[in-house]
Amino acid sequence: MSNNETKNPILFFMQESWLLLVSAILFGCLLACLSAAWQPKIIQNEIDKFNALAGGLLSEAKGFQNAGESISVDIGKGKTYSVRVKKGTDAAGNLVGWAFVCEGSGFADKIKLVVATDAAFEKLAGFGVLSSNETPGFGDKITIKDGFYQSQFKGAPVTELELTKVGDAETIDSRIVAISGATVTSEAVVKTFNTFLLPIKEAMAEQGLL
Amino acid sequence: MVLGSGFYVLSFHENDKLNISKGLNKMSKDVSLGKTFFAGIWDSNPVLRLLLGMCPTLAVTAAVKPALTMGLSVVFVLLFSNIVVSLLRHQLKPHLRILMFTLTIATAVTIADLYLKAFMPEMSASLGPYIPLIIVNCIIIGRAEACASKNGLIVSIIDALGMGAGFTITLCVLAAIREVLATGNIFEITVMPGSFTPWAAMGMPVGAFITLGLILGAVNIISKKTA
Amino acid sequence: MLSKITVSPAPHISQKLSTQRVMGDVIIGLLPAMAAAIWFFRLQAALVILTCVTACMASEWICGVIRKKENSLWDLSAVVAGLILAFSLPPAIPLWAAVIGSAFAIVICKMLFGGLGANIFNPAMAARAFLTASFGMLMTTWTVPATVDSAMPHISATNTATVTQATPLAWAKSAIKGKAEVTEANGLLKNTFWGNVGGCLGETSSLALLIGGVYLLIRRTITFHIPAAVLIAAGVFAAVFYFVNPDKYSDPLLHLFGGGMLICAFFIATDPVTAPLSIKGMWIFGAGAGALIMLIRLAGEYPEGVMYAILIMNAVTPLIDRACKLVPAGGKPHVQ
Repeated sequence: MSNNETKNPILFFMQESWLLLVSAILFGCLLACLSAAWQPKIIQNEIDKFNALAGGLLSEAKGFQNAGESISVDIGKGKTYSVRVKKGTDAAGNLVGWAFVCEGSGFADKIKLVVATDAAFEKLAGFGVLSSNETPGFGDKITIKDGFYQSQFKGAPVTELELTKVGDAETIDSRIVAISGATVTSEAVVKTFNTFLLPIKEAMAEQGLL
Repeated sequence: MVLGSGFYVLSFHENDKLNISKGLNKMSKDVSLGKTFFAGIWDSNPVLRLLLGMCPTLAVTAAVKPALTMGLSVVFVLLFSNIVVSLLRHQLKPHLRILMFTLTIATAVTIADLYLKAFMPEMSASLGPYIPLIIVNCIIIGRAEACASKNGLIVSIIDALGMGAGFTITLCVLAAIREVLATGNIFEITVMPGSFTPWAAMGMPVGAFITLGLILGAVNIISKKTA
Repeated sequence: MLSKITVSPAPHISQKLSTQRVMGDVIIGLLPAMAAAIWFFRLQAALVILTCVTACMASEWICGVIRKKENSLWDLSAVVAGLILAFSLPPAIPLWAAVIGSAFAIVICKMLFGGLGANIFNPAMAARAFLTASFGMLMTTWTVPATVDSAMPHISATNTATVTQATPLAWAKSAIKGKAEVTEANGLLKNTFWGNVGGCLGETSSLALLIGGVYLLIRRTITFHIPAAVLIAAGVFAAVFYFVNPDKYSDPLLHLFGGGMLICAFFIATDPVTAPLSIKGMWIFGAGAGALIMLIRLAGEYPEGVMYAILIMNAVTPLIDRACKLVPAGGKPHVQ
């Protein structure tokens, strides 16, 4: 036993932990291989999801490409959110609209939206929900495709939107009727639009995209 | 090696203490494979009898589909970690064994997470952080410690399958009850009549706590009667 | 033989204070409010009350059979739970939802905790919270009282303004959010006192609740501490806001008479099981409940806060009891 105490510390360390080190290296290699094999698929999934949502909003669009520089939008409290606007083109390559991802704070968690507009950035083509965690039965009604809430945004003008409790949901204008029982969620979506729409339009005009 | 041997004694002492449940102690002596498998499903069901892995049990059981995905992911991770730990059990340094377990489990969980992201992106998005959180699920490290580090490969595999099955079945039962009441569907197929008004609360955390509590109570009553 | 002799420490009071008598008094105290509910909402109210009471008693009986315990129906606590639950439901609630709520109150909130005396939360309020979480739309649809003329102001999301009506507190909330004039809310004060407004079954008529509350005080079924604490705390809270900004916050009297404030002060907060035991504890409990109600009403998202205020205070009741331990006569015993 007394020999061990005078043993080389590095040798002692290796004796004790060789198994850990070897398995760490092996497992690391395993993960690296798997990740290399699956990463393209994962990236493709994300693009597919965006395209499916944005394509559902802009029905003529066949593909989406990055357009211009990424735009950083001030989301209050000194924070900014970086938006990459994508250009939707039809089969012939003509511009049919714009789409981008943005987010705001909902009732329970962040709500991530895909917002699409027409080619002139004058009218909304609607929004889709990338991720949200709103109350089932109330706030999660914003995720219903072509539901009462989502359809109010189809064709609405790109200006400051306003949330009302009373009103006609059928009329398409800048007044959005709240989901009854889910005022916070309805407000969050409208606020997200108001935070992102006009600054992005301005920045796009500066970049010469519009 | 005074320090080393000190740890040695201490850690084996700990090992004994960790075998808190009756089911666990029985297991290492009795090597009947059938019993090992069914122990995981009833006698020492990880959720209902050992109350391990409560976080996914409460968090992902709003519907059967995510619950099943979670259950199968845990089966995979459990199998992977039990196999690796069982194979390396003679090489394990007792005072470094937890590090080794964690390394193995983390690898398996990362594989499961990548797989879901690549091939089931929607499920992966809806399970969110709960797949990576399997790393800290006590069931897996508990089985590595109590079974795989002391038993041979076959026993460890059967144990992983039994425990995994117990976990998956429990999650699915809990999720089925909650999904029916919260949405009127099971596995996204409508089963309730059209006039049924969904109980939204059952899809919220409160529904998970109440349903789990009632199931635990029922299981206790049944096992008291059959004991 | 021994079972016929009551063994108890002094003082020996010959009056019989049984659970049955207390609960019977509470039921009598609730009768004026029941009459008011049936007057304002007619058949709907009668059906909801009948359903809740029957379902609560049935649940209590079934639980007793399953637990192989003596039948506890005749302590009348299930009737009281059913009545209070019914009084806190909107008149248009479907009867099946009332049955679910009653079963939840008795089975989950009372019997699973060990029956009367062992429940942590007020069963009626916990069941109402479950119903609100489950059926939010049904729980916030208010019927216009049968006695109201159509000239009264309405708020409604849809054009079916004749069917639903906002409660006075919903007006007050709209005023806080700047979506309605505060004078419209204050104008409802008189109707709120008599009960001529939309709202939960038992909370509309302040007059009926006051009569019932005074009856309980006279019978000494409840002491004045909790009701006084609730009303003073809420009144002061509302008055401070009102005097700071009367254009935004409505009259404190509207808050005292509107919504569930009075039924909470006299019948819910005074529940002997879920409220503290000591006088000091009762003051803390009542003041906490009153302040929380006003905090939710004035600063929260919901127009009404009685249910959550009571549940929160129920949860801290054990802490209050611990903090306000009674000192035995002769001072604290010396612990060796």
